[in-house]
Amino acid sequence: MENTNQTLLDVRDLRISFFTDEGEVRAVDGISFSMKPGETLAVVGESGSGKSVTAMALTRLVPSPPARYLGGEIIFKGRDTLKLSPEELRRVRGAQISYIFQEPSTSLNPVFQIRSQIAEAIELHRRDVKDVDAEAERLLTLVGIRDARLRMGDYPHQLSGGMQQRVMIAMALACNPSLLVADEPTTALDVTIQAQIMELLKELKQKLGMAIMLITHNFSIVADIADNIAVMFRGKIVEYGPTQRVLHEPQHPYTKALLECIPRLGAHKHRLKTINHAEIEAALGR
Amino acid sequence: MTATAANSAALAAKPQTLWSTAWRQFRRNRLAAACLWIIVIYVGIWLYAESVYWTAYLRDVVPSYKVTDFDARNAAPSLRHWLGTDFTGRDNVAQLIQGVRIAFEIAILSSAILIPLGFLLGALAGYFGRWVDNAIIWLYSVVDSVPSILSIISISYVVGRGMKGIVIGMGLVAWVGLCRLIRGEYLKHKQRAYVAAARALGAGHLTVMLRHIAPNVLHIVIITFTLLFPRFILTEVILSYLGVGIANEPSWGVMINDAKQRLWLGVWWELGGATAAMFFLVLALNIVGDALRDALDPKLKTAEGSAT
Repeated sequence: MENTNQTLLDVRDLRISFFTDEGEVRAVDGISFSMKPGETLAVVGESGSGKSVTAMALTRLVPSPPARYLGGEIIFKGRDTLKLSPEELRRVRGAQISYIFQEPSTSLNPVFQIRSQIAEAIELHRRDVKDVDAEAERLLTLVGIRDARLRMGDYPHQLSGGMQQRVMIAMALACNPSLLVADEPTTALDVTIQAQIMELLKELKQKLGMAIMLITHNFSIVADIADNIAVMFRGKIVEYGPTQRVLHEPQHPYTKALLECIPRLGAHKHRLKTINHAEIEAALGR
Repeated sequence: MTATAANSAALAAKPQTLWSTAWRQFRRNRLAAACLWIIVIYVGIWLYAESVYWTAYLRDVVPSYKVTDFDARNAAPSLRHWLGTDFTGRDNVAQLIQGVRIAFEIAILSSAILIPLGFLLGALAGYFGRWVDNAIIWLYSVVDSVPSILSIISISYVVGRGMKGIVIGMGLVAWVGLCRLIRGEYLKHKQRAYVAAARALGAGHLTVMLRHIAPNVLHIVIITFTLLFPRFILTEVILSYLGVGIANEPSWGVMINDAKQRLWLGVWWELGGATAAMFFLVLALNIVGDALRDALDPKLKTAEGSAT
């Protein structure tokens, strides 16, 4: 996966809309960002801000219809994924851009053993691997599953949420992707498991040197891992910059509001702050 | 994550698949378990009947159940003929046994046409939606709008009467129910996260449809098969009774059709025997089918899965 080009991913003016009976919904409204190999970008925003659609659009996974790709470019390793044929796209998905999703319990197929789910990820893109079982075991060990050999015969419902997410990560890593898109990887998990999974992602990033695009609504998990942060609000990136700058000197009223929502240990507050959209719009002078 | 090695070894030693859970659930239903034994006995009789048929066929002799004895016409039940004889003196028990063979052959051969047809069309309609869905809905609505007995009779006139006509007729008519069920399941499953995950891994549409979703809806096929089985048998009986069914072989429908003409003579054993043979098989299949539906119900399964 050597890439002399200094940018891995360059999204320019991407626009995606959903056309419903109520009219056009601009899910992604002209966003641009870029990622270098090995970089971690956190995309933060509330529900419906378009962050998941952006992530899925990278390999054109948003079904169309109802979605329409209205414009822009997604240059991944020098090629525009929006212009690839379905066949070429399938070779990008999983092999070069991998995904892990929010709900590990439903993202694994309930009727297959862990072994065959990981084996499929390997077989889809790496036909040269002879001993698929050994490779699956190596991946499971890599994501921190003990007794991987014994665990491979398990069905998804026999695993805890954290272990299911580890299996999902193992599947995503099966083909050494250069970009891992983690779409709210910890939202369905409880706090201690969240920490473990984030720790694992950080460790894998150092070990494997892949870029990670971390989609989340939770500012508190990004500080540790992200190099850059993009804050999305209503389909637009309203703030984009290095993590420390965004966290400590937020420019945009929405970013400030989001940061104020984080409950702090020891702070004496009786009410949690909520985001008032009218206030933000007033601050923006609309 | 903190499971000890011994703990996880114990877990691994007790595989808990979809089917083993369903089997435990099924066995809890005593009546269904008893009915399963009845079906096993019928399968045994069926295999025996096949052997009788094929030995006679290979040796090129008249099979024993077709041997007539005009001195013993319409004989009452006795030690020699447990259920008496019919109007040409053939043994009724031997004929009933062949009836099992005909019933199983028809049910299995019809299913071999119906299940792939219904499953594939249902899967295509549910998975791809849009115009594919519309076309398939249109197709099965048309098939369904004609009374099935009439279509089966017309198909059997086209392809030839007898076994072939019944099998092809039923196969081409009865797939609608399965198709509807499978379509609904696919509509539901294509929205599931695991399908999105498979797509994100780079799996194509056909792979997702047949490799990922199909195993999740396969239980529908099994349930449909057990519930359709009695319908096949009954349809065969009705068709044979109407005179467009099996000819030259002793199916239950043929026996009932023949026996009705001698009922006024007080010859009840032929009719009674055929009806009873059919009754027990159909009843057992229905009960097992219902129990299977309960055992394989996804909702019950998740409830039990989270309890363990």
